[in-house]
Amino acid sequence: MPQLRDYMTSNRLLRKIKAALGVLAAGLFLLGCEKLYDLPEEKEYISENINYGSKILEPILGRTNLMGQFNPDASTMPLKFEIVNARYGDGRPVTDLFQVRPTYVWISAYDGLETSLEEIEAKRKLEDRPLFEVRESGQFILWASSDNDLIEPRPEDTTLLVQDTRFFDLKVTNTGGTVYIPDFQFVPWRERPYSPSNDIDPYTGGVARDPSDPENPNKRDYIRPWLDNVIGDKSNRPLQSNNNIKDVVVYIRPFEGGNGHNLRFKFMGPGPDSSWINPEVFNETKWGTLVHGFNIQKTAEYVQYDVAYPIPLVNLQTPYTSSGGGSASIEFQYSRKGFGGALTYASFGLDFNIFRAGDWEIVFHFRNELPKFEDE
Amino acid sequence: MNKMKALFTVIAAVALLIHGSALAQTNVTVTGNVIDENRQPFPGVTIFVGRPLRALTSTDDNGNFRVSVPANTVLVFRIVGYQERSQNVGSGRTVLRVQLAPIDNQLDEVVIRGYQPRSKELSTGSSFGIDGDDVQDIPTANIEQLLQGRVPGMNTQVSTGAPGFRGSTQIRGLSTVSMTGSGNQSFLQPTSPLYVIDGIPMDADRATEYGFQQQGPGISPLSLIPQEDIASIEILKDAQATSLYGSMAAYGVIIITTKRGNSPIPRVRYTHNSFIRTPPKLRETLGGNLERQLKLQQIYGNALTVNDIWQISETPFLSDSLNAYWNNSTNWQDYYYRTRYNQSHNLHIDGGDQLFNYKANLGYFSDQGIIRNTGFTRYNANLRMEYQPEDRRFQIIGAVTGQLGQQSVGDGIGMLQTGVANNGLSSTLLPPPSFYQAGGSHSAVLATDNDNATRLIRANLEGSYQFIEGLRASTSLSYEYESKTEDTFTPAAANDQFAEVYSYNGRTTQLYNRNSLSYAKEFTGGHNIFINFFNEFRIAGRQSAVTRNERSPNDQLQGPIGFDGYFSRGGGLLDDYTDERAASFALAASYDFNKRYVLDLSYRLDGSSANGFENLYARNPAIGLRWNFDKEPFLEGLDWLDYGAVRLSWGVNIIPTGTLERIYGKFNITGNYNGQQGIGLDFDQIPNPDLQPKTNTQYNVGLDFSLFNSRVEVIYDTYLKKVENELFEQFLPNTTGFNKIFSNGAGIANYGHELFVMFRPLRLDSDFKLTVSVNGAYNKDVLLSLPAHYSGQFIRYDYDPNQYNQHVILRVGGATLANYLYVNEGVYATDADVPVDPVTGLRYQTNGQFFQAGDPMIQDANSDYYLNDQDYQRTGNSQPLFTGGASIMLNYKNFGFNLNGSFTGKRTILNNALAQRLGLMGNPFGNRVVVPLNDIDLWRQPGDQATYPYVYDYKRFNSIRPVRFDQTLWAEDGTYFKINSIVLSYMFERDLVRQWGLDNLRVYISGENLHTFSRYTGPNPENVTTMGRDVSEGYPVPRTYNIGLNIGF
Repeated sequence: MPQLRDYMTSNRLLRKIKAALGVLAAGLFLLGCEKLYDLPEEKEYISENINYGSKILEPILGRTNLMGQFNPDASTMPLKFEIVNARYGDGRPVTDLFQVRPTYVWISAYDGLETSLEEIEAKRKLEDRPLFEVRESGQFILWASSDNDLIEPRPEDTTLLVQDTRFFDLKVTNTGGTVYIPDFQFVPWRERPYSPSNDIDPYTGGVARDPSDPENPNKRDYIRPWLDNVIGDKSNRPLQSNNNIKDVVVYIRPFEGGNGHNLRFKFMGPGPDSSWINPEVFNETKWGTLVHGFNIQKTAEYVQYDVAYPIPLVNLQTPYTSSGGGSASIEFQYSRKGFGGALTYASFGLDFNIFRAGDWEIVFHFRNELPKFEDE
Repeated sequence: MNKMKALFTVIAAVALLIHGSALAQTNVTVTGNVIDENRQPFPGVTIFVGRPLRALTSTDDNGNFRVSVPANTVLVFRIVGYQERSQNVGSGRTVLRVQLAPIDNQLDEVVIRGYQPRSKELSTGSSFGIDGDDVQDIPTANIEQLLQGRVPGMNTQVSTGAPGFRGSTQIRGLSTVSMTGSGNQSFLQPTSPLYVIDGIPMDADRATEYGFQQQGPGISPLSLIPQEDIASIEILKDAQATSLYGSMAAYGVIIITTKRGNSPIPRVRYTHNSFIRTPPKLRETLGGNLERQLKLQQIYGNALTVNDIWQISETPFLSDSLNAYWNNSTNWQDYYYRTRYNQSHNLHIDGGDQLFNYKANLGYFSDQGIIRNTGFTRYNANLRMEYQPEDRRFQIIGAVTGQLGQQSVGDGIGMLQTGVANNGLSSTLLPPPSFYQAGGSHSAVLATDNDNATRLIRANLEGSYQFIEGLRASTSLSYEYESKTEDTFTPAAANDQFAEVYSYNGRTTQLYNRNSLSYAKEFTGGHNIFINFFNEFRIAGRQSAVTRNERSPNDQLQGPIGFDGYFSRGGGLLDDYTDERAASFALAASYDFNKRYVLDLSYRLDGSSANGFENLYARNPAIGLRWNFDKEPFLEGLDWLDYGAVRLSWGVNIIPTGTLERIYGKFNITGNYNGQQGIGLDFDQIPNPDLQPKTNTQYNVGLDFSLFNSRVEVIYDTYLKKVENELFEQFLPNTTGFNKIFSNGAGIANYGHELFVMFRPLRLDSDFKLTVSVNGAYNKDVLLSLPAHYSGQFIRYDYDPNQYNQHVILRVGGATLANYLYVNEGVYATDADVPVDPVTGLRYQTNGQFFQAGDPMIQDANSDYYLNDQDYQRTGNSQPLFTGGASIMLNYKNFGFNLNGSFTGKRTILNNALAQRLGLMGNPFGNRVVVPLNDIDLWRQPGDQATYPYVYDYKRFNSIRPVRFDQTLWAEDGTYFKINSIVLSYMFERDLVRQWGLDNLRVYISGENLHTFSRYTGPNPENVTTMGRDVSEGYPVPRTYNIGLNIGF
């Protein structure tokens, strides 16, 4: 025993070190245990039940459509969306949807307070984008750069055959996995460059027939303005524009000879000669804030503005729009002396949109008689 | 330092090995003096002689003794808590001076395993001991508070200052995903450890299992235990240690041993505390004209139309500044919060020796809350006697405990004081409370007469008999009766001119019996075995009822009620009725070889009438191994290594969660059919006969060592705890015809490390004694699984009426309880910073309002430029990752200094209090107070890079909701370090106090909850719910200053 004791004492330091190392090693081993525990990895969640409100997309060509009610079912954001397997019903691949064309994207917020066209244009820019795409929110976008030529709209004869219908699947991915949502349908309406567009047949693009007599090829539908206290100068009754009586109708149509972003307002009188009414007679009209346009030019025939298309630019309520901002709102007003000598006000107007850039005129056609401008 | 009082039985076993020559010779008279470690005379030390040992005498008040014994005998000096000393009496040596050293070495401690005392040296499980002295000097109703930061792996949060209530305690992390309540009152099902008080198990959760909505007094049973009566506390953490206690012990066990008599001459010890509780800093408010000016400025600055300005003239308290009614500066908070002076008195009388001893503890404790009309008072009388003939074959112990807790919670529910919080927010312009304001909620707060009482009486009889050496049978019987009453009288002025009466009465009873047979045997060659078989029977009952009556005739008639059935608002028997029978059988076997290698095996069967027949018995197995490597021959020569051990354990606790209703369904009496009584299934839940009990499996690896003569002690544990088959409440689609089903499938894993390190840096014979201990625990919880059809994620949506909308998300693989909120990234400095949708050209928006400068920058998770429910994201973790504490104990001669701190780290707190404070600015026309926001990094003008959004834009406030609760702006790191307590004490010289007729006198001053170091911007990172929400309606935790004294007669 004494020998052993001596031996141990001589190696004491060594053994101290060894013991310390042992403790250290044991500690490290224990810390490393977490990997041995075989715990599940945390990963992002992607629900099997993600879906859309509707899987049939029916956008209107020629305007920016933001579509799709995506329900992520609490899947972890961000999700990556990808359109895959775009095909017609008979299996042919679909490529026309993904042609790249320049289109306007907003870079800062339009607020209706811009004082020049340049200021407006500075807030958006042209960017090359596929005509149809899905963005990171799962919303589908059909850009305004699409038109009837690039994407063939649904058939004019109103038939919807499976082999003519575009289908695609959506691949939704996050790091937690991938879910496919199959069989979306893309069934576009042809371009309707303005709104109200009830004078356009949505299938053929031609003139829409009168809804109260749809079989009659000689009768058509008209855009109708609203009228308030506009008295006919002959009949002495308030002019009307409704399903039955169309004293005043509106034409929204392109004209030749503008600078490419003009908007004109014209007022057409009755009769075969269809003389133009001088806009100045609508003496109470606030021409300055009629539309968000600049460089106003008034002639005896029209009032013209330089504008930025589409009108309105965004779906935002401004002094130039209807409440809610969905469409531009114009109001023409005039006054005259009524019975008893008091001023009486008359007004008419229209809520409209124009989606395609160009030179457009909006014509108010007083078909039967002129408004009464004389005092009573 | 953890010292465990040695139990007599074990010492006796050791003592039997000591050989002394007791040959009859001529007697010598031995005199001497016994001193303690502080060289103070040690009275009450028993002196034994002979084989078997018999007590001769014990030391007197001065530590002196005189015995007459044969020459060449061995005297044995023994007293609880100190190492035994043997002194040989020669033929000539007749004057002895004996110094006893306290048991402060971990290994000499005795621990309790399966109700049997065992040497800590042989224990394979993970446990931690605390001496009763460590929970003195700071007056508290609930000793759990004093354990905060002392036990590695035990996370105690003093989350409420409500007197008589308790915070939360978790051992080794999260054990449940069950939540109840909504909004700020979301409540995590408490999973408190099982308390075993003098061998009788007690369910500490019984007052809180219904969350904030619980009925009845809600006095925690822990608040009924006087701290002065506690001798030691041991906390069992791993499943090896807890599995012998069965299902109830799945969340850990806390064993409390009360003091026993130990003084040959009767001793009277009196402890007194006088303490002041002060409320924390309250919310600053702008008073009087300042409030009016601020509100007007806000309106002028943010009005959009002229009508908004006009509205001022229609709001008299803004415009009519000369009207005396509106011209006040009332400090509302002052009416509710107060500083209180309290007292406690405790009288401890004990006497006796090893043969027969007794103790009586009489106590009074009062804590009048810092909120008016709340408070807690406790009276207790604990009696205990023990008789053990000298041959130690027979032992009988009897104890009676009587406790009365009285409490008032005002018109709140204890932990939440909604009435106080709301009234405290009243506009300062309003006139102060007066009779004129009768009917206001102010009266409800102050005049509601709430009287709760819990009365508990427990009798306990324990006997044991040793048939032959090593074989001992014992039996223990206890009966506990607890009566709980709550009487609330709301006077007419406080309740729309009609008084209201609410009365609750309930009782819980427990009859408990335990019988055990244990056998210890030492074989030659160093093989030792210990076998312990025991069974437990329990009959637990509970019944409670409520009476409610509206419109009592007047404020004087508070009862008896029942005079009018018309105004009775029902009540009757509550559905918490229980009549449970439980039977358990447990077998524990322990083997060791030379105390070097230890193997523990145990198995316990738990049967309960609350389980279904499919799973009538829950099985709790455990295995433990221990290697005391210091006893290895190759390490024996190391004098710097006191001891060292490696522990390994595995164990399972099964917790039946299937109540009869969940398994078999509930059947209601549903009218008649063809004259027959119909009995139909209750459609609330689908019965689930396959419901599995919750399984709690735990692996533990531990390392203990002590170096350099106990100057460094280290306890390290690492563990993996898996909670599987967690009960999960699934709501069903209404097409099933049922509302919900309880199923299994959820599971949690907790793993972590616990470290306790203690240093005694000074020399042992120095006048200064310094002990520094630090402990810390890292616990990470991971959600293991959810019921399969959730495919890995479950969101507990919480659209509560107050629009907190703070959802909780469970995702497999992640921290279990995360928040599901909007992610706030700051404040928009200018309008141009608001993102614009490139497709629509519109700014980011919510509720039809576009965001603008000064609004919160909330991440648009799904990139659709709309802020809505799809933008919630998983964030944060409401459970802390780190917990721990530190303590410093310094003694110099008779002076003592003791500092305790605790910390909690890496936990997400939702600062709802701040959200509410900023939200006060949302309506300048309202009758709410306004607060100064100078200290807040608030956006004020375009270009400001701020943390908090602009709150003064009252016109857009309700649509933008800049300070909405459901955003991460309020998620803050709740890391804190708290100075729990500081104690300064002085022990008077014995010779001096003798002249005054006293035996000893010690005075001390102490402070509790002195300071919290935290970067948290709210008032107190600890005063939050278990879900980590800082509730401004909560009861603030007071600061306490105390002067106390101990007198011994």
